[in-house]
Amino acid sequence: MDTAPGSHPSRRRLLSLAALAGAATALGPLPAFTASAAPQRPTMAPAPTTGPHHELWWRAPADEHSMIRQGLPLGNGRLGALAGNDPGRELLLITDATLWTGGLNGTLDSDGQFPYSRDDFGSFTLLARLTVDIPDHDLSAVNDYRRALDLTQGLVTTTYRRSGTTYRRSMFASRPDDALVLHFDQSGGGSYSGTVTLDGTHGENVKGLSFSGALPGGLRYGAAVKAYGSGGKVTVDGPRITFTDCRSLTVVVSGGTNYRPDAATHYRDPSLDPERLARTKAGDAAAHSAATLLRTHVADYRALFAQQDLSLGTSSAEQRALDTWERLQARARDDAPDPELEAAYLQFGRYLMISGSRGSLPLNLQGLWLDGNDPDWMGDYHTDINLQMNYWMADRAGLSGCFDALTDYCLAQLPSWTELTHRLFNDPRNRYRNSTGKIAGWTVAISTNVHGGMGWWWHPAGNAWLCNSLWEHYEYTRSRAHLAKIYPMLKGACEFWEARLLTTTLPDTGEEVLVADSDWSPEHGPLDAKGITYAQELVWALFGNYLAATKELGKDKAYAETIDSLRERLYLPRVSAKTGWLEEWMSPDNLGETTHRHLSPLVGLFPGDRIRPDDSTPKAVVDGATALLTARGTESFGWANAWRALCWARLKNADKAYQLVVNNLRPSTTGSNGTAPNLFDIYEVEKGRGIFQIDANFGTPAAMIEMLVHSRPGHLELLPALPDAWATSGSVTGVGVRGGFVVDLSWRDGTPTEVRIHSVGGRTTTVAHGSTSRQVTVAPGASVTLRGFDR
Amino acid sequence: MRSSSYPVMPVLRTMAVLALTAGVATAVPASAHAGPVTAPAPPGAAPTADAPALAAKPYMGWSSWSMQSSKYPGLNPDGDYSYLTEANVLKQTDALAAKLKPYGYEYVNIDAGWWRDLSWKPEFDQYARQKADPGRFPHGMKSVADRIHAKGLKAGIYLPVGLEKEAYNDGKSPIHDAEGCTTGDIVYGDLRTTNGWDSAYKLDFSKPCTQKYVDSQARLLADWGYDFLKLDGVGPGSGKSGDQYDNVADVAAWQKAIAAAGRPVHLEVSWSLDIGHAADWKKYSNGWRVDTDVECYCNTLVSWENSVDDRWDDTPGWTRHAGPGGWNDLDSLDVGNGAMDGLTKAERQSYATLWAIAKSPLYTGDDLTRLDAYGVSLLTNREVIAVNQGSTPPARPVTPSDAQQVWAAKNPDGSYTVALFNLADEPAAVTAHWASLGLTGKAAVRDLWNHENLGTYQDKVTQALPAHGSRLFTVTPRGGALKATAYEAEATANTLAGNASVADCSACSGDHKIGNLYLGGSLRFNDVTVDKAGTYLIKVAYVSGDARSADISANGNKATSHKFPSTGDWGSVESVSVPVALKAGSNTITFESGSGYAPDIDRIDVPQSS
Repeated sequence: MDTAPGSHPSRRRLLSLAALAGAATALGPLPAFTASAAPQRPTMAPAPTTGPHHELWWRAPADEHSMIRQGLPLGNGRLGALAGNDPGRELLLITDATLWTGGLNGTLDSDGQFPYSRDDFGSFTLLARLTVDIPDHDLSAVNDYRRALDLTQGLVTTTYRRSGTTYRRSMFASRPDDALVLHFDQSGGGSYSGTVTLDGTHGENVKGLSFSGALPGGLRYGAAVKAYGSGGKVTVDGPRITFTDCRSLTVVVSGGTNYRPDAATHYRDPSLDPERLARTKAGDAAAHSAATLLRTHVADYRALFAQQDLSLGTSSAEQRALDTWERLQARARDDAPDPELEAAYLQFGRYLMISGSRGSLPLNLQGLWLDGNDPDWMGDYHTDINLQMNYWMADRAGLSGCFDALTDYCLAQLPSWTELTHRLFNDPRNRYRNSTGKIAGWTVAISTNVHGGMGWWWHPAGNAWLCNSLWEHYEYTRSRAHLAKIYPMLKGACEFWEARLLTTTLPDTGEEVLVADSDWSPEHGPLDAKGITYAQELVWALFGNYLAATKELGKDKAYAETIDSLRERLYLPRVSAKTGWLEEWMSPDNLGETTHRHLSPLVGLFPGDRIRPDDSTPKAVVDGATALLTARGTESFGWANAWRALCWARLKNADKAYQLVVNNLRPSTTGSNGTAPNLFDIYEVEKGRGIFQIDANFGTPAAMIEMLVHSRPGHLELLPALPDAWATSGSVTGVGVRGGFVVDLSWRDGTPTEVRIHSVGGRTTTVAHGSTSRQVTVAPGASVTLRGFDR
Repeated sequence: MRSSSYPVMPVLRTMAVLALTAGVATAVPASAHAGPVTAPAPPGAAPTADAPALAAKPYMGWSSWSMQSSKYPGLNPDGDYSYLTEANVLKQTDALAAKLKPYGYEYVNIDAGWWRDLSWKPEFDQYARQKADPGRFPHGMKSVADRIHAKGLKAGIYLPVGLEKEAYNDGKSPIHDAEGCTTGDIVYGDLRTTNGWDSAYKLDFSKPCTQKYVDSQARLLADWGYDFLKLDGVGPGSGKSGDQYDNVADVAAWQKAIAAAGRPVHLEVSWSLDIGHAADWKKYSNGWRVDTDVECYCNTLVSWENSVDDRWDDTPGWTRHAGPGGWNDLDSLDVGNGAMDGLTKAERQSYATLWAIAKSPLYTGDDLTRLDAYGVSLLTNREVIAVNQGSTPPARPVTPSDAQQVWAAKNPDGSYTVALFNLADEPAAVTAHWASLGLTGKAAVRDLWNHENLGTYQDKVTQALPAHGSRLFTVTPRGGALKATAYEAEATANTLAGNASVADCSACSGDHKIGNLYLGGSLRFNDVTVDKAGTYLIKVAYVSGDARSADISANGNKATSHKFPSTGDWGSVESVSVPVALKAGSNTITFESGSGYAPDIDRIDVPQSS
């Protein structure tokens, strides 16, 4: 491939890029919604659950109008739902990760930026709405209601009593069967009578058991429902299914789109009939008993969930007696640690990731869950923190496989991003265009969609951050296959920066350095600033990662030297003499909001490694970063708090990190920042209006793990920021460690008692706790166990 | 007081409509009148060995006003309030007799407008007494009463208080059976107006002719055979205060006139009566509307927010004034047809639950010819009706008036009537702790709405309730009495801050309370000792003439704000139970006003176990 950047990309080069990315996709997972082989069906019943601390539970169903705060999420990685669990009227708001309005959005607005609306850029939207009406089970007439989310099985249950019968409802999203399954059972001689209704949300004409539709952007979709009962009668009755006097009832829903993650086919699979496929899938699943479907699901789910176990201590009987919402309120009111609740919050994040990031598109701003077709910011992919944060947890939490959705997405979008970059970035109206006049590689806008398109403003450094995220996944897994897949992305991003960087002379030292062209430190301060810290740090890391990649793969030596020389000359931020903070804009002045939500100038502290609270980093830089972080405060949006917590964990400040975690656990009332009854993180857009934004649900668990285990290639640190609340005793297993290890750790009284280090490709690392450090060598596939940290 | 300053939006809105259509600002009535039973004992007399003849129990029946006042399609085809006709009343009479009479519903109450034509122009006889509008009641009012009686039901009618302006006739109309008296002899010389709409001249009872006018009205109603009278626009109340709107003398005159006429007539006064005059209403009437109209004057009969839900806040202050002879009237019970009522099923059940346990009269304003199945089930649930009609006292809140609240009453047989309410806009669990009833251990729970014994519950029962939902239980103790330790608010060991100070209180334990808890004032109990950590149901005895909130916290933790229902005046003590998380050993419990006004605190009782 031609590595010399030019002002006009050759057609040949673009084609080769597309071919390369297409090949990578072909090697990856199948398209989102597709016929699949018959599931493997385990013959054994799933192991019993491991205890009440893995169960979230509530004493009341969701309000139909507050599903985003109260509905319980289900998902098989692509097909999702929020369930309301009202006895008399079960409601599922069903989503498919790929059901997006909009399209390529390849025409700039007059300001050289991208349109950003639901029609052109598009929006994540609902697939269907399923209701199961059981009129005799009105909430006012049933007793001892309880619903629960069993995190160990990925199972939502609802129980209640009426007239001597105990009714039990369970539901799950099966990946092997590619369907949502609802099972209604009872003991005590009761029965179910009512109706099942499947509706679209885009004005579709529902014929009965299925429907289909097409969006203006050309995406086709469909969904289907099947139901069967025992005892009574189940009949199709016009647009709904009627069931009468059934001892039990099983309802199966499948659905999807003809989305195909392939730029070459414009992200569509014209040969796929989603409605027909949905009917086939629902029918296939409905040929099995609910027990069989559940067994199949649990076996699949547990394989992932069991990768990490966590104990942060023991909660009191009083705390355990409270339901999850009461418990959040008590946690905030009494400011008393509730270690099992806090651990469950982390496990809930893992549940969301398993449910929302497998084999399809990655988790967007709302993960996989919606309560309407007008999510704020389109429920899109924000590349200036939110998408990256969604995946900070994956490797740390034993869910490396869930990371692949992000990789696959980026690779599938890359040809389109590349084409848009070449065609549009240097548009003379774009204030962020390269003043060098050159263009190469690719970049993104702040928002990206699923159609190869971008929205809102250009975001030059977004390419570097995405690449750094993909690279980190390699550090955790040491997967050569992954590295080979992402290498073209890294290289393309380097090429973009090679074309973009400007040479400037620092006025005080006369030093000649390279700085990023005009840019906006994300969502903060001056719109056109050269050499923003955010870009400098990300590009510095990108170049470093690229160099490491060329070494690992033994490729592109000459170009690596080019990049290495650029990296040598990159300007890195100073500490302001005026504020004492690490500078955000190559200026000693504070040009923005002191407590701004973004921590863009601290990307070198987290997720980057450049700023370390040890002798490897000048103390002045660490102090400047600490001072800036301190000034940013501890009261912000959930994702912003999570990022702060991660930074404080990197600075080994357990109290601050824990406080920020606790702040995110505060119950959200009347839209305030905090945690909703269903544990979704709520973002207060304006006073009194809170929306769901999922990033904190992943960022906060990432911070919790980072407080327990810090790693960078060659270095593993145990309990770097363990708060008193968790210190008494605890354990965590399956923690991914950069450098290619997985760690199981237990501790007592703040000191590790045992750590097992298993290599998934790494060979050697230091293992540090407090002032102690030792060197460990493990062969790939082997493990070593260390003790004696208290000596 | 609260009621006098309370905005009466629906009625004001009604006035505007009337002024437009009729060109005159006249009384907007809303009611009816009746009178049952035999002995003409004075209404509202204190119950003695002999039960009062009238209103021994809250009355049950139907009223015309909800349908008259609604814009529901088709109800008032000939203009606002045109629903009220002889034909419609008789249609509802038939339906009441057929469907609801077996359950105790007996009154058919004709509300405002029977003497006014469709343009709201009134008719009076030669003696300045209201006369049936021939368009609405072509056979006159006696005929209607007769036909109601023929169904074994009782007839109710309506009048505004005072001498209606249109009846004044330059003071020239003679007063019936009162020689030498004319309308000019019964009002004040300055023709001062009165009632909630200023639609009448205030009667001057210092003049000998005045009582005779009321006597003549009562005589007429008795002659027609009415068993019930709703006297409307009565003050203090009906949005008015001050001497000009003090109609206590009118109500007393009506009681006297009814007695003189010789036919037992239940006298109900309306609306938003001043609780400061509760003793007068009890003395002279059989029931009093405690709140504004329940109707929404909109496209349905009522709506939850306007103003069914007001009753949860406005009723508790009145609770202790209800009893045989006179009851707290929460207004029409419009739960019979969901579409027409404008309420969800849950709202309808809650509406019926509150009316039942508060021992409000149970009169529906629904179209009885179009009740839906759920409406019938609500209106005819014998267990719920028995709570209302039986010898049980009215329930009142045993928790603060928070979004989730519990009301209870101890029944003569030792059981408790317990209602759970979720007034939030979304489903929520509501817990009735036996501790809030003074009980510990087990208790059996019967669900009255669903006719089901739910079994025995330890310490509490928790149920999920829909938005605006309710449950109604009979709780029968199977355990013991709760043991608690009392801490007096005025104890010297406590810490007062801000303006908080000790005040005399004859109704309080220890004859003292802590008052002036406002604008940052606080009361801290310093040494509340419990053996084990846990959440304790602290029973708070307090005094609060209006509903007030306090922030309650333990051990300096984050406070929780709770709204304390009104105790009705500043001399009565009530108590509610509040959950507080305590640790083993010594605790502090703090009551703070925040930036508002908190109730006066008499005492807290801390259970010996959580």
